[in-house]
Amino acid sequence: MRRFWTAACLVVGVVLMVVGYTASAPWGTESVAHSDPRFVFAPAVFVLGVVIAFSSALVYELLPEKRRH
Amino acid sequence: MATQTERHSTLPQRVGQMNGAWRLFVIGALAVLGFGIYSFWQEATQGMVVTGMRDVGTMGGATWGLYITMVVYFIGVSFAGITVAALIRIFNLDHLKPIARTAELLTVVSLILGGLAIIVDLGNPMRGVVNLFKYARPQSPFFGTFSLVVAGYLFSSLVYLYLGGRRDAARLAKSPSRLQWFHRLWAAGYADTPEERDRHDRASFWLAIAIVPLLVVAHSTLGFVFGLQVGRPGWYGTLQAPAFVALAGVSGIGHILILAAIVRKVTATPHRIGEAIFAWLGKFLLGMLLVYLYFMVVELLTLVYATPETEKRLSDALLTGEFAWIYWGSVAALVISAVVLIWQAVVRRWSVTWLVAVGVLANLAAIGKRYLIVVPSQTHGTLLPYDTGSYSPSVVEFGVIAGLFALGALLIGLFFKAFPALPIEDESEEVIANA
Amino acid sequence: MKYGMVVDLDRCQGCRACMEACKVENNTAQGHFWMYVFRYEEGSFPETQINFLPRPCQHCDNAPCVKVCPVGARFSREDGVVLTDADRCIGCRYCELACPYGVNYFNWRKPEKGQYEIVDWSDPDLEPVTGGAIPPYRNPDLDGLHGEEQRRTGGGSQAKGVMEKCTFCVQRIEKGLQPACVTTCPTDALVFGDKTDASTPVGRYLAEKRTWRLLEEAGTEPSVFYVGSRPPTHRSKEIERPKASV
Repeated sequence: MRRFWTAACLVVGVVLMVVGYTASAPWGTESVAHSDPRFVFAPAVFVLGVVIAFSSALVYELLPEKRRH
Repeated sequence: MATQTERHSTLPQRVGQMNGAWRLFVIGALAVLGFGIYSFWQEATQGMVVTGMRDVGTMGGATWGLYITMVVYFIGVSFAGITVAALIRIFNLDHLKPIARTAELLTVVSLILGGLAIIVDLGNPMRGVVNLFKYARPQSPFFGTFSLVVAGYLFSSLVYLYLGGRRDAARLAKSPSRLQWFHRLWAAGYADTPEERDRHDRASFWLAIAIVPLLVVAHSTLGFVFGLQVGRPGWYGTLQAPAFVALAGVSGIGHILILAAIVRKVTATPHRIGEAIFAWLGKFLLGMLLVYLYFMVVELLTLVYATPETEKRLSDALLTGEFAWIYWGSVAALVISAVVLIWQAVVRRWSVTWLVAVGVLANLAAIGKRYLIVVPSQTHGTLLPYDTGSYSPSVVEFGVIAGLFALGALLIGLFFKAFPALPIEDESEEVIANA
Repeated sequence: MKYGMVVDLDRCQGCRACMEACKVENNTAQGHFWMYVFRYEEGSFPETQINFLPRPCQHCDNAPCVKVCPVGARFSREDGVVLTDADRCIGCRYCELACPYGVNYFNWRKPEKGQYEIVDWSDPDLEPVTGGAIPPYRNPDLDGLHGEEQRRTGGGSQAKGVMEKCTFCVQRIEKGLQPACVTTCPTDALVFGDKTDASTPVGRYLAEKRTWRLLEEAGTEPSVFYVGSRPPTHRSKEIERPKASV
C-alpha cells in the first residue's frame, strides 16, 4: 500500500510538473500569446507538482504498513 | 517554581529553558525586526522612492540595489546547508551528523529570508505573489528562482528537516513539558523500530539524491538572471552560473561554521561538535574558496588583458575607481581566509575561533561580491552614452535588511529552543541535563 | 503590418520638442523621459562635434525586456509595438535591466507626488481651473484598455510600483493618429508607419536610404532606424543632461 501511494505521489507530481510547465507561457516574443499561460495558475500547478513529488518521501515514511491479520 | 524547573530540565540541550540571556536575545531581535517592518511599511505606503534606488540611464541610478544583493546572498547561503546534510547522508559521514540539523535549518531559514527579500524588492509585493502563481513565464530566469528555489528547494529542505527529526521528536515526546504537543506532532507516531529506521534511511538517501540536482539547477538559474542579459556589461557571460554556485558554497559553509560554534557554546557540547567536524568544514570551505578564487583570477585576467569598449568604464570603476575598495577588500578577505585555512590544514590544528573569524570574513566578502555583481553594471555599464550614475542605499533599505537578519536569528533561536540542535545520543544525555 | 520609426539625424536639430510633446501626451512623471534626445559631444576642443540622438523605445522584434518579464506584463504585439500591462506588472524592474537602451522607467512615487511641482496641484484654489486633475493636462485616453488584447497599456504614472516606457502612443495610433513626438517635430525628423510597406514614408526611407540601428550587435532587432550621422561610441560624452532624478 505504502509503495503504491509513494509511487502515485511521484507520478502525479511529475505529471503536474510537466503539465504546469508546458501550460505556462510559451517561449518566444512575437505576439501577445507569449505573455499568457494556456490557463491561469499553470505555474501554480507546476509548483504543486514539485511539492507533491517531494511529498512522496513523507508518504513513504509516515504511512503505516497495512496490518495483515 | 521547583516543579517547573524540574519539568524543563528533563529536555536535553536546554530545550524549553528560557534564561535571562535568551530573553534579552529575543527582545533585541524583535526590536530590530520591528524596525525592519516599520521601514518596509514606509516603502509600501510612500513608494520605493524612499530607497536609494533610481532608474538606470537618464536618472543615473541603480534600479536593483541592496535588496537584490541580499536575495542572491541569502539564496547562496542556503546552498551549503542542505548540501552538507545531503553529503553526510549520501556518503555516510557519521562523525559529521551532529551538525546536520543545524545545516538543514540554515538552508530553510535563509531560503525564507531570500524569498522575503524578493518580495520586499517588488513595486507591488502582494500582486507579485499572486501574479507569479498565475502567470509566471518559464523563459524568464525568474521563473526558476520562484518555482524551483523558493517552492521546490524550500519545501524539499523542510521535508528533509522534518523527517530527520522524527526520531528525536519521539524521544522528547516521552517527557512531559510545555512543548510535548509540538514534539508529538512532529514525531507523528514514530516507533523507532528497525524497520522504521530502515525506511527513514532509504527515504532520506533518495531525498538527498533528488535535492542535489535541484539545488544546482536553482543556483544556476539565479546566475542566469544576470548572465543572460546581453545589454548589461559585466553581467553577460558564461561564468556567472558556475561562479554563483561556488560563492554560494563559500558563504554557506562560512555560516555553518559560525552556527556550529554558537550551537557548541550554547548547548555546551564540545565533545560532540569537536575538532573533527570543524576540520572537515574548514577543508570543505578551503576547497570552495580555492575554486572561487580561481574563477575570480580567470575573470580578472580576461578583463584586464583585453577590455572591450563596452566594459572599460565598468572595469575601471571596479578595479581602480569608486568600487575598488569593495573589490579589493573582498579579494583580500577571501585570500586571507584561504591562507588561514591552509595554515590550519598544514599544522593540523583547527581552532574554532579562527574558523569563526574566517566564516565571518568569507561572508562579508560574499556580500561585497554580490553587491559588485548587482550595482556597478547599472551605474557604470550603460551601452548608450548616458552619464555615469551612482547609488547609495537609504536608511529604509538598511532597516529592512537588518530586520531580515533579525528574523533569521529569531527563527533559528526559537527553533533550537523548541527542538534540540544535535541529534539526541542516548538516555545519558537527558540524565546529564537533569543534574 | 509592423510599426517602425525612422529618425533622420540629418534633420534633427536637438530642440527636444519631441520630449516635451511626449510628456504632455503621456503625462509622464518627473524624471521620466520616454522620449529622450541625447546631446553629446565627440572629440576634444577645438575639434569637437556635437550630435543629437532621439531615443524612443526601440520596440525590438527580439525584445530582451519581453523575454525576462516574469509575469508577462511586458509583451510584444503582432504589429511590433512592445507594451506594458499596468494591471499585471509587479514592479520587479527586470525589464529595465535587460534593456540595453535604458528606455524603461519605474514609478517610484505615488502619482500625486510624481508630477512637476510648479505649483501644488492639490491646492483647492486651483480646483475650478484644473477640475481636480493632477496634472491638469491629464490625458483621459491613458486610463483605458487598448488594442485587441484589451490591456491597460497607456501608462502615464497612474499607479506607483509599476514600470512604463514609450508606447508609440498606443492610444493615438489606434485612432489613426501618429505618435505625439512625430506630430510635433518641427523638421519632420521623425517618421512613423508600417515598415513592411515600401509605399509608406517609413518604407521609402528603408528602401532608399542607408539606415543603421542602435546596438545592432545586441541582437535585439529594434524597429527604430536611423538615417545619417553615425552611431554613438564610448568616446561620446553627454552634455546638457536634464536634471532627471527624483
